Amino acid sequence: MLTLGTVPAWAVLGQYESSVSVDQQYLRSEDRVQAFQAYKVHQLTTANGTIVREYISPQGLVFGVTWQGPFMPNMQQLLGSYVTNLQTALPAQTHVRHLRGLTVKTNDFVFVNSGHMRFWKGSAYVPSLIPSNVSAEVVR
Amino acid sequence: MTLRNASKATLGRFLALVTGLIFLGSCGGSSSSSSSTSTPAANNTAALTVGFGPLGAAGGYVNGIFTSVTVCAPGTSNCETVDNVLVDTGSAGLRILNSALTTVPASSLGTITDSNGDQLQECVQYGDTSYSWGPMLVADVELAGEKASSLPIQVIGDNSFAVPSQCLATPVLFGYGNDDTVAALGANGILGLGAFGYPLDCGSYCTSSSDLTQSGYPYYVCPTGQACSATTVPTQDQATNPVAAFSSADNNGVLVTLPSIPALGAANGTVSGSLIFGIGTQTDNALATTATVYALDEYGDIPAFTYNGVSYTSPTNWSVLDTGSNSLEFLDANTLASVGIIECADAPGLYCPTSTIPFTVTASGANSTSGTIMFSIMNADTLFNTNNAAFNDLGGDSGTSPANDFFDFGLPFFFGRSVYIEMMPGVFAGESSAPSGATSATYGYYAF
Repeated sequence: MLTLGTVPAWAVLGQYESSVSVDQQYLRSEDRVQAFQAYKVHQLTTANGTIVREYISPQGLVFGVTWQGPFMPNMQQLLGSYVTNLQTALPAQTHVRHLRGLTVKTNDFVFVNSGHMRFWKGSAYVPSLIPSNVSAEVVR
Repeated sequence: MTLRNASKATLGRFLALVTGLIFLGSCGGSSSSSSSTSTPAANNTAALTVGFGPLGAAGGYVNGIFTSVTVCAPGTSNCETVDNVLVDTGSAGLRILNSALTTVPASSLGTITDSNGDQLQECVQYGDTSYSWGPMLVADVELAGEKASSLPIQVIGDNSFAVPSQCLATPVLFGYGNDDTVAALGANGILGLGAFGYPLDCGSYCTSSSDLTQSGYPYYVCPTGQACSATTVPTQDQATNPVAAFSSADNNGVLVTLPSIPALGAANGTVSGSLIFGIGTQTDNALATTATVYALDEYGDIPAFTYNGVSYTSPTNWSVLDTGSNSLEFLDANTLASVGIIECADAPGLYCPTSTIPFTVTASGANSTSGTIMFSIMNADTLFNTNNAAFNDLGGDSGTSPANDFFDFGLPFFFGRSVYIEMMPGVFAGESSAPSGATSATYGYYAF
């Protein structure tokens, strides 16, 4: 049951669309695909109501992901190699603590995770992978 | 109490059938000696102090809010009062550092074990990726004159097991880890008094075996010689808002009152307030006729805010009134650039406008009420240079854009206000009458 300690490189963010199906198996979720003019979205929904959306560019790359559910999703699985950007991007906090959320904003990686017990949501995207005619605001 | 007990029984029986696992608190009976509703009303007011907390100016955070909690070995008069416990309306359940329990050590508390005799453990990861990891034990808990008997609490740090990687959904940032010391937590514990519709930290998400593989899952058992594995937990053994477990009628919520403070803040330890238990249950906690009731939505959030003509709605832009946060985490510097908000050069994530910026936002409850919230944000560097410890105008980013921003109204929001936080499910549970202007509050409410 507890195999999450050794997460393989199933990276999603920044990877090709085919990695979505690995996520789908991992999350044991239904996959619904919505196509827009300049990108498409896979929406994975698990039995307990966790929703993961993966935003795909015309080149077939995942440029953004969002999540919402009672627990935080496995960020190593969703963010792949970009997870290292998390750990290195944030300077130590002084004066305040952020028990409810974490925001990381760099030129090539944007990440926000926030919530409270029984409710977490967030998003991450790679600005350089967003199609030129698409706003980052679509990743929500 | 009746609602909570009813749900407990149903879930417990259901779980026993589904998983075959039943947790039994090994504590003795709940020989409560505290007041009942037929005797004189309980002292329902605990003192609050605001400041840097036990780490002081050098290592503490500003706008910490603390109270004292008395922890007793269940069914005994063997009690210890723990001071400097962080009052957190943004979480649920009581969590105490193992190191803060000295005369009533964790070993004197009741255990919660599965059919193999393995002790229940909990791991809670917070937004900043730090976490609390330790056993769920049973204590009688006293706050002012109120008593919660046989309450499951987390004792942070009282185990030697490696924290399950399954729990740590977001890799822990460098410099963060288990909040199992005063130095790491900045407090001796966390008193979680959040609303969120019901007073449990996990609820039905931890009673079904279908959720056991979820990342971020909180409850585990650690059999000898094996890695810890996720386990289902009946609701009566989950971390519970102590107020909901009070034997008195003051168990439907809390009232937080703090005085007004100057724009440049107040010195450490000079601001005190009251944490009053119950809403509409005693003469000191009647809902003020001037208060607006904002019923919460199914996520435990205020359904909508409007600022500058833009509507921000839950759950995309969720919200909480949160004594456990030190600042007003309000929108983001890009969105607020047009009114003069910029981030501090030396502290990204906090706001350093060149002059004080006033804000007015409109909040809308699930009961169709609405009202305005006014606050100001001042330059954080200016505030910190005063060496004061309490500020009503310290702000910072929540997210990076309206697509991911949230509204975490931290302690600055509470100064100069009386804030009612009703956390019980049902419609105005425990109150003698429905608040004026409110028609329903299925998931609890905020009023101020």
